Amino acid sequence: MSTKSTQHGYTIERKSDHFCGRFFAMGSPCELLIDSIDEQLAHHLTSLAYDESKRIEQKFSRYKADNLLHQINHAAGLEVAIDDETHRLLKFADTCYHLSDGMFDLSSGVLRKAWQFDGSDRVPSADTVNQLLPLIGWSKVKLSTKHIQLPIGMELDLGGIGKEYAVDSVAKQCTQEAAGVSVVVNFGGDIQVTQARVNEQYWHIGIESITDDGAAAKLLKIKSGGLATSGDSRRFLLKNGKRYSHILNPLTGYPIEDAPRSVTVVASHCIQAGLLATLALLQGPAAESFLQSQNVQFWCYR
Amino acid sequence: MQLMNKPINISSALAAATCALLGAPNANAADTDELWKFDTALMYYGEVDRVTAVEAIIGATKDFGDEHIFSGKVTIDGLTGASATGAVAQPVAQTFTRPSGDGNYVTGAGETPLDDTFHDTRVQLTAQWTQPIAENMRASGGVNFSNEYDYMSFAVNGSVAYDLNQKNTTLSLGLSYAFDTIKPEGGIPLAFSSVAIKPYSDDSENEQENENEYEDDFNRTRVDDSDNKNTIDLMLGLTQVINRRMIMQFNYGLSLVDGYTTDPFKILSVVNEQGLTQDLLYENRPDTRTRNSFYWQTKYALDFGVADISYRFATDDWKIDSHTIDSRLRINLSDTSYLQPHFRYYQQGAAEFYRPFLMEGDNVPEFASADYRLGEMTAYTVGLKYGMELDNGDELAFRLEYYQQTPKNAGFNEPGALQDVDLYPSLKAVIAQVSYRF
Amino acid sequence: MRHKVLKISSLLLLVQLAGCASLGVQPWERDLLAKDEMALDAEGVDLALDDHIYFSKEATSGGRAFAGGGCGCN
Repeated sequence: MSTKSTQHGYTIERKSDHFCGRFFAMGSPCELLIDSIDEQLAHHLTSLAYDESKRIEQKFSRYKADNLLHQINHAAGLEVAIDDETHRLLKFADTCYHLSDGMFDLSSGVLRKAWQFDGSDRVPSADTVNQLLPLIGWSKVKLSTKHIQLPIGMELDLGGIGKEYAVDSVAKQCTQEAAGVSVVVNFGGDIQVTQARVNEQYWHIGIESITDDGAAAKLLKIKSGGLATSGDSRRFLLKNGKRYSHILNPLTGYPIEDAPRSVTVVASHCIQAGLLATLALLQGPAAESFLQSQNVQFWCYR
Repeated sequence: MQLMNKPINISSALAAATCALLGAPNANAADTDELWKFDTALMYYGEVDRVTAVEAIIGATKDFGDEHIFSGKVTIDGLTGASATGAVAQPVAQTFTRPSGDGNYVTGAGETPLDDTFHDTRVQLTAQWTQPIAENMRASGGVNFSNEYDYMSFAVNGSVAYDLNQKNTTLSLGLSYAFDTIKPEGGIPLAFSSVAIKPYSDDSENEQENENEYEDDFNRTRVDDSDNKNTIDLMLGLTQVINRRMIMQFNYGLSLVDGYTTDPFKILSVVNEQGLTQDLLYENRPDTRTRNSFYWQTKYALDFGVADISYRFATDDWKIDSHTIDSRLRINLSDTSYLQPHFRYYQQGAAEFYRPFLMEGDNVPEFASADYRLGEMTAYTVGLKYGMELDNGDELAFRLEYYQQTPKNAGFNEPGALQDVDLYPSLKAVIAQVSYRF
Repeated sequence: MRHKVLKISSLLLLVQLAGCASLGVQPWERDLLAKDEMALDAEGVDLALDDHIYFSKEATSGGRAFAGGGCGCN
C-alpha cells in the first residue's frame, strides 16, 4: 500500500491516509507528514521544505565557508551588513540572552575548542577554559537592524536555534501553501504540527528517545503545536567517576552540573519549545521545577 | 539560579519573541503588505422629545509595510427633531418663527421652546497617513472634510512622535488648522436684533401688507449670508509605559478659535419684572475663544481584562471650566467575548456671558447667550458593551448607553412667572450601537 | 525636627524620581501591552462617535485628540 518516489534529493511515500516526505538536512533526518492523499501536493510541500531547509542551512551553518554566518564570524572586528531575517533571528537570540540572564549565549560556541564530548576523560585544564572566556559574551556584540559587529576573535553559533527555526519556517510555508491541511514537520525530533488533522485524530510520531543504552524509539501522540528536545546523553565526558554533560555554562566555561540528559518540551511553536528545553537544561538540578513554573508539558530524562 | 526569580514570564516572553521572529501566523513572509482592515459602526442616538440621530462610520486602515500606514474614514449622519432655542418657558403659549424665517411654531404653556426644524445630513471624510521619518521618529499628516446643508469644515493636521527609552516613552507634538463656514438658511442674524414674528396668514385683510412688513423686519435682522471661523489646535503628548501592565498618557491641548462662534439659531428672551417675555433677541458670542485642556489616561491590563480610566480638565477664556472622568472596564468572558461597562461623568461651569434670559430695561451686554450648553451643568453616561470575536476572526460588538444632562442655575434670580416654569430641564438620551470589525 | 522631616521627604522624592527613571519594560515584557485591547485608541470608533455626541452637547471638546472645529452641531 505504499508508493515511493525519489526526486531532487527527497523521497515521498504514500501511507494509508497521508503522504510522508523525507530528506536529509542540517545533520538530521527530516520528515514531513502531510494529511492528504494528493500526491502533487505532497511533492510540492516536500520540495518546498527541502529548499527552505537547505536555504537556512546554507545561510546559517557554521560549517560552510561561503555564507553570511562565516562573514560575520570572520569580519575581524568590522561591521557586517545583515538582512531582515538574520536580524529577526539574532533579535530572538538577544531576547533569550536577556531572559536567561546571560546563560543562553550564541557566542559560547568557542568553548568547543576546549571541550570535546566524545565519551573520553579529556577534561580540559582550567587555563584552557579561562583563556576562552573573554571571547564569550553576547553583550559585547553590536546589533542594529542593518548591521552586526563582533569583537575580534568572537564567533556566533546558531546551532541552538537554527534547526528549530527551520522547522517553524517550513511549517509556516506549508500553512500558506496548503491552508487547511495538517502537516507535521519533523527535523530530527524537533517538531511542528501546522494544525489539527481533519478528523481531529492524533499524529503518531516515532522520535528517538535518549537513554543510556542508545536510541530507542518512543511513540509520541500529538495533535498540533510544537515540540523540541534539547540534550544528548551520548555526548559527555567521564573522569574520576564524574560525568560532565555537554551543556556548558557560558559564564564559567564549565558544564552545568546535574543537568538532565535530555528535556522535551511542548509549546505552540517549535522554537519556543526548543528554547524552553535549553533554558531548562541550563537550570541543572532545577530543570523540572523551572518547567513546572512555566506551565508547559515536558519530559525530563536524567 | 536567577531564572527562578522570573517564573512564568519566560514562556510568555518567548511566545512574544517567537511571534516577532516568525511573524503573525497568517502573514506572508514574502510580501509584507497586509490587507485592508475595516471598522464599521452604526449608531442610534435618541433624546426624549428632542433630537434623534443616526450615524454610520466606515473606517479603513492599511499597513503598506514598514509602518507606512494609511487610514481613512467616512462618516454619515442624519439628524431630525427639535432643540432648545434658548428662549424661556412661559406660563402661556408662545409663538416663534423658525430661524429660516419660513413659518411659525407654537410652544405650549410651561414648555421649553424647542425649534422643531432641526433636520440635517452630514458627510465627513478623513484621511491620515503615518510613517517613520527617522530612527524612533514618526510623522503623521491628515485632512478632514465635513459638509452639511448649512455648514462646511475643512481641516489639516500634522504631528510628529518621538520614541525614546526603548520605546517606553513617546513624546508627540501635533498641530491642526480648521476652517469652518456657516451659511444658515435665511442668513446670519444681526447680534441682539429682535426676532421678527411672521404674521398669521389667516389675517386675510392685511395679508400682503403684513407679509411685506414682516419681510422687511426679517431682513433688517440679517447681516450676511455666511460667516466663518478659524481654529488652530496645538497638542503636546507624553505616553509612558509604567510597567508590564500599565500605560499612561498625558496631553496638553491649546485651541485658538477666531471667527463666528455664535449659534445663529439661538435666541434670548427679554422678560419684565413679572417674568413675562417682552422681546426675543438673537444671541451674540465673542469672536475669539482660547481653550486649554489637560488630559490624563491610564490603561491597566488585568488578569481578566482591561481597566481604562481618563480624566480631563479644560478651561477657557469664556470662563468655562470642565471636569470629565471617563472609565471603561473590559471583562473577558472567554477567549473570544467580553463585557465592558462604561461610566462617564462630566461637569461644567457657565460661560461668563451665559444668561438664561435678559431683563427688560437693563443694558444689553456686549455678549450673551442662553444656550444651555454654555450654562452650568452636570452629565453622566452609563453604558454596557458586549463584544465577541467570530469564528472567522471578525469582531462584532453591541453597545447600549444612557446619557443624562442636568443643567443647573448658575445663580440667576428668577422673576415672577419664571419661578413656576422649568428653566433648566434635564435632557435624557439613549445611545445604541452595533459595530463590526473585519 | 523640621530639618529631619525635610530630609526624609526629599529623600523620598529622590527615591521616587529614581523609580521614575526605571519606568518601562524590556521589549520581551510587552506581551500584555501588545494586546489590541491595551492600545490607547482601542475603542477608536466608539471614541469618535462619543466625541461627536459630547462635542454637540457640551461646551468642552478635545483633550484626547484635537478639539477641532468640524460640525455645525455646536
